[in-house]
Amino acid sequence: MNRRIVITGLGTVTPAGIGAPALADAVREGRSAVGPITRFDASNHSCRVAGMVNEFDPSEGIRKDQSRYVKKMAKVMAVDIQLAVAAANLAVLDCGLPVGDAKADEPVLPTIDHTRFGIIFGTSFIPTELEDMAAPVRASFVDGRFSLKGWGTYGIPRLFPLWLLKHLPNMHACHTGILWDAQGPSNSLTTSDAGGLLALDEAARILRRGGADYMLAGGAESRVNPVMLLRYCLVHRLATANDNPAAACRPFDLDRTGQVSGEGAAVLMIEGADVAEKRGARIYADVLGTGAGTTTAGVNACDADGRAVATACRRALAAANVAPSNLGAVVAHGTAFAPQDRSEAAGLRAALGPAAKDVPVTAIKGVTGNLGAASGLAELAAAILVLRQGQVPPILNCARPDPEAGLALVVGKPVNMKSELVLITSNAIGGQAAAVVVRLL
Amino acid sequence: MRQRVVITGMGSVTPLGLTVEETWRNLLAGKSGIQPIRVFDAETFPTTFAAQVPEFDIARYVKNAADYSRAGRNVRFAAAAAKMAADDAGIEAGGFDPTRTGIYLGSGEGTLDFFTLCESIAHGTGEDGKVSAAKFAEMGLTRYDGLRELEQEPNMAANHLAAEFGIAGPTYSNLTACAASTQAIGEAMDLLRHGDVDTVMAGGTHSMIHPLGVTGFNLLTAISTEHKDQPWRASRPFDKDRAGFVLGEGSTVMILETLEHAKARGARIWAEVTGFGSSADAYRMTDIHPEGRGPSAAMRLALADASVKPEDIDYISAHGTGTTENDKVETLSVKLVFGPHAYKVPMSSVKSTLGHLIAAAGATELMTCIMAIRDQILPPTMNLETPDPACDLDYVPNAARKAKVEVCLSNSFGFGGQNDSLVVRRFVP
Repeated sequence: MNRRIVITGLGTVTPAGIGAPALADAVREGRSAVGPITRFDASNHSCRVAGMVNEFDPSEGIRKDQSRYVKKMAKVMAVDIQLAVAAANLAVLDCGLPVGDAKADEPVLPTIDHTRFGIIFGTSFIPTELEDMAAPVRASFVDGRFSLKGWGTYGIPRLFPLWLLKHLPNMHACHTGILWDAQGPSNSLTTSDAGGLLALDEAARILRRGGADYMLAGGAESRVNPVMLLRYCLVHRLATANDNPAAACRPFDLDRTGQVSGEGAAVLMIEGADVAEKRGARIYADVLGTGAGTTTAGVNACDADGRAVATACRRALAAANVAPSNLGAVVAHGTAFAPQDRSEAAGLRAALGPAAKDVPVTAIKGVTGNLGAASGLAELAAAILVLRQGQVPPILNCARPDPEAGLALVVGKPVNMKSELVLITSNAIGGQAAAVVVRLL
Repeated sequence: MRQRVVITGMGSVTPLGLTVEETWRNLLAGKSGIQPIRVFDAETFPTTFAAQVPEFDIARYVKNAADYSRAGRNVRFAAAAAKMAADDAGIEAGGFDPTRTGIYLGSGEGTLDFFTLCESIAHGTGEDGKVSAAKFAEMGLTRYDGLRELEQEPNMAANHLAAEFGIAGPTYSNLTACAASTQAIGEAMDLLRHGDVDTVMAGGTHSMIHPLGVTGFNLLTAISTEHKDQPWRASRPFDKDRAGFVLGEGSTVMILETLEHAKARGARIWAEVTGFGSSADAYRMTDIHPEGRGPSAAMRLALADASVKPEDIDYISAHGTGTTENDKVETLSVKLVFGPHAYKVPMSSVKSTLGHLIAAAGATELMTCIMAIRDQILPPTMNLETPDPACDLDYVPNAARKAKVEVCLSNSFGFGGQNDSLVVRRFVP
């Protein structure tokens, strides 16, 4: 009665490179992709390091007509949206569905019912690009001050007509849907760091209720822009260890100084096992159960007892019908912001119970930085490719593990997994936590 | 075995009132909430009017008003609406079972500190027109309030409600433009149907009546710039002379429960939500598919989910924005789904007086369907003076109308192509 849900396609664009194998390699090799911020002059920001995706082309690798569309629309796609489109393209191409011939006027995915194909993305509100605003803002000054009257008269006409659409959090799914003709349910969840895993949670639910046969579940965000960087500097969430970028993000380490902002996108193709097996698809993993919880501690706070994370993990384990002691590994959110790390560790201890001392816990943000809404699914994609080889990689930059974590943190060298069951969890400060239990195949 | 889902509480702040009853009374009277913009100086903007929520004191609704001192209008609206919904459902703030209760809100951005943004950009802009991020940050660091910046994130409404009401279960915040809160209620219903939770606080909240919101819609020529001197005439759904929508703002929050849970606590039941349909146009960024492919799919799916036939629907709450394309395509889509019966189903747009509440529109319109079922009366489409041959259905023009109302369909279609429909009906045990 409960439809089995499987992952058949992986697409990631992260600071570690284009494609999930590039991310997996960096995680396996313990190679950090965090570097000094080069995209803009961050010399006045307290944090000057980030995980950046410096070169990618969302119009690559797809049909000519699709490529034309992406090139034409690129100017109204903020970088978050371009990352999302690029990762979604990779996920669709990876899932093995035949792509139709554009010249013969075939549908993009001729073997599927496009009305049974949906998209759920975790995204965030995208700040305006400073360059786009510069001329309109300057034209709006009256007597040395910015003036709304000036803006109405001289500013607005200087912005380009589609300006608003460059920033809307549903445009990732909109453009992806147009490219792949996904006419099923389309949603955009704005739940910060928990967005990607919650997108998977909702996409799986839609498949279970029979609302679609194929779903793209994704997350995409860029925090590497002057506005978002300033915001998180102002609330003291970011690392201050600017001198050694590769060592700046230190999950669960005693010397952690905060989060490192990143950017990226991760998209999974998921489908009902009935559908996947019938078409002979390669199956990466079973989505056994998802769960979510929320902090009640306040909008800029983390639960001291990790209640939100505990609730999410407990619900995912219960939905998956998996006992904590049977888990082969946990991939934690591990942002390296001390209050968030402590809260997460407390939540994991509570959810794992006595198994907390045995189940290996790793985290990969030392490699990528915090990819925001993309982080949970990027971590899931990395787990699928790395952990299926039977070993849990160590937490990069966790040299002196916080003894108060009370978890079997993987430090220094990989440890063997005793089962193919993996728990992945994400949480947003002041808000949502999410978790998923998968069985690697 | 899926559970039945009922609505046991409603709360709403809209341009037409600070309670459900006040909004409903004004809607039936055809009173317009559209006035000159007062929340910022819009005198020189192409559009100078909007439908704004009257001033209210947040302290009346929350435990600690200081927790909301930096919050955006969207968060304050949601807090007020949620408190009234919880009261209406007879649940105290601490009375929600923490992990068996969820939140699902269609929610927009907080209120941007537009002056600081613009002055910091100007400070950072060199003679060549390029912006130095370092100089931008130099001013931004001294001017911005970091916590107020955080409040702009679109999950803040859900986060505040979780803290306010002690809700620790699954919470979601979505932003699929104008379809967001219809979709939120539909997905909340699904969480309940499958027994993931017993109760969900669901709805929407949004204000885009801020300088960049109005700027963005003006640039897209989506909002009306006409009837500046008589703004109540500017929102003209289905009228031949319609010229775009009028921005509104507000929040409607509902308490959804499984029937079992509602019965066990002896709750009063407003209505039952029985159908949800969701689709995407996958066509263009802003234009609706001209053949109504997406909207008709959403309506069909909602009817099928509710196991009702088109003939069973007594009233359609239209998306009815007042843009040329939406109203034409929505009319066409209803005809595709309802066939000849389309002409017999009254369909009105409360956006004619409420304006367009964007992410809060769907929940607010579902609320009007529930009130229509209670009072057996349909809210009118105001300003429908000149018929458009492409819009030839019964739009309940210009005056409320007594009618038999048992089952309603509520439509929302968002920029970007998301289409969502809900079926709501009188609760019959």
